[in-house]
Amino acid sequence: MTTSQPLLEIKRLNAGYGGIDVLHDIDIEMREGEFVCIIGANTAGKSTILRAISRLVPRVRGTLRFNGVDLTERAAHEVPSLGIAHVPEGRHVFPDMSVEENLMLGAFTARASSDLQQRMERIFDLFPRTRERRSQLAGTLSGGEQQMVAVGRALMLQPKLLLLDEPSHGLAPKVVEEMHDAFVKIHRGGTSILLVEQSVGLALDVAARGYVLDSGRITLQGASAELNENPAVRAAYLGI
Amino acid sequence: MKRWIPIAVIVLAAAAVPLLLNPTGYWIRVFTFTLLFAAMAQAWNLIGGLANQLSLGHAAFFGIGAYTSTILLLKFGISPWLGMFAGGALGGVAALIIAIPTMRLQGHYFALATLAFGEVARVIANVWTSLTGGPVGLSVPFVPPGFAAYSFKQLLPHAYIALIALIIVTAIFEVIRRGAMGYRLRAIRENAAAAEVIGIDTTKVKLQTAVISGVLIAMLGTLYAQVAVFFDPDTVFNAMSISIRVALIAIIGGVGTAIGPILGALFIVPVEELMNDLFSAGAAGLSQLIFGVILIVVILWRPRGLVTVIEALRTWLRGKGAQS
Ligand SMILES: Nc1ncnc2c1ncn2[C@@H]1O[C@H](COP(=O)(O)OP(=O)(O)O)[C@@H](O)[C@H]1O
Ligand SMILES: [Mg+2]
Repeated sequence: MTTSQPLLEIKRLNAGYGGIDVLHDIDIEMREGEFVCIIGANTAGKSTILRAISRLVPRVRGTLRFNGVDLTERAAHEVPSLGIAHVPEGRHVFPDMSVEENLMLGAFTARASSDLQQRMERIFDLFPRTRERRSQLAGTLSGGEQQMVAVGRALMLQPKLLLLDEPSHGLAPKVVEEMHDAFVKIHRGGTSILLVEQSVGLALDVAARGYVLDSGRITLQGASAELNENPAVRAAYLGI
Repeated sequence: MKRWIPIAVIVLAAAAVPLLLNPTGYWIRVFTFTLLFAAMAQAWNLIGGLANQLSLGHAAFFGIGAYTSTILLLKFGISPWLGMFAGGALGGVAALIIAIPTMRLQGHYFALATLAFGEVARVIANVWTSLTGGPVGLSVPFVPPGFAAYSFKQLLPHAYIALIALIIVTAIFEVIRRGAMGYRLRAIRENAAAAEVIGIDTTKVKLQTAVISGVLIAMLGTLYAQVAVFFDPDTVFNAMSISIRVALIAIIGGVGTAIGPILGALFIVPVEELMNDLFSAGAAGLSQLIFGVILIVVILWRPRGLVTVIEALRTWLRGKGAQS
């Protein structure tokens, strides 16, 4: 296979809820190994894009391909085994299960594999605090720790593509930085990342490329450095 | 191994109870219905406890079970033992038909939708006179006694059948709860969004649970029909005395736990009988009122069910043990 085949190919994607489209003709393309972000204000439709990829939005029109596979023909529960791991918006852990159980459930669709323990060790290396708290119930962790568990659980799949929906929302600045450092490490390890953020500054720091989403349409795209310099982006999302 | 000892003791004690009761008396009947309702609440516990979907329509499947085996016996002379499986199959199909459109609904909406479906089943059973006999009801025909014919002169065999049924349904509940399916249901219960993104087919697991629950309570409908001997649509398809009652038994006892429905039935069925017994001579409805007050007190005292009393007792005993 040539590397020129896109990992993720979204063309003229329209999607929405209850007959009303919130996404209009979205085009996004990602190559293997890329780190891309989508930035946009609240309710722009960022989560809907990720949810459409994970097949959690029932009605989609347009092209949605991953690694050559037509995602529109797959159900939500088949998506993880294709190599897509989704960390949804908000801190979604299983509160009454231990950190270890949470992580193990991440590899739910890969239950046959024998290296789960090693995978878990790698996550503990990435987020040392999760190692310290491995037998603690996830619901008793701090917000930042819960988010680490949620990201770690997604990594247990060893996905080709990691979808991150506002992972740093509501976290202390120090934890946000820690989180973004981890994303850079994950990316260096060979995982492609599609990151969605409202806080534009940090997203453009870590991602190489970005799309700007406004009311369900892509209004701008380009290298992070360019977007950072773009007066419209600066005015709209950096509050300058 | 040690875990099995208390279970064996409880089962043996339960098996000894009917021998101590007057075989033609009133209390062996109460005991039989207590076990039967415990089993029904346990069947409900699968959907209500493990899948966390508060069904208020289980009378539909229960009634289908009671009617199927009785109609097969009346019209074709088929033994209720076989009719029980036919009823279970139909109950499972009905559960699937109801679950497909309702399972997506959350909380109150699911409860109301299933309640409505249950009422529809009751109305159909009343109107479809050619099949069910309508509001007049059905009498289970008397056939020569014998185990194969599921016909007994006394209540004692019914008490033991109900006990075995309770043990089987409880075992099924526990096997599911501890197995892969129970783990999936637990993940959905704890965080539906997270369960979805890790690849759990949430709809499928919930539908499977709904069907198993429906099959089991429909089969118990046959047991009820054989004990009651006579029933009509308003009894077996009743929202209050079947659907809401089984949910209440599981909730009062401790929803989602294996002992919950058993404790709930041990409490609710005899207390309700006792209230009726004590107050029925006086003002009508007084027993209902007092029963309602007792339920409220229990719910306020133990919001997570009577099962927490046992947990507290265990901790207390362990503390005592540690001291000495
Ligand atoms: N489950 C849903 N049902 C109906 N409308 C929804 C649902 N989720 C999101 N929306 C609507 O879709 C639009 C885009 O939402 P979302 O994708 O969550 O935006 P963002 O993630 O950028 O904040 C919003 O107007 C929101 O109200
Ligand atoms: Mg969002």
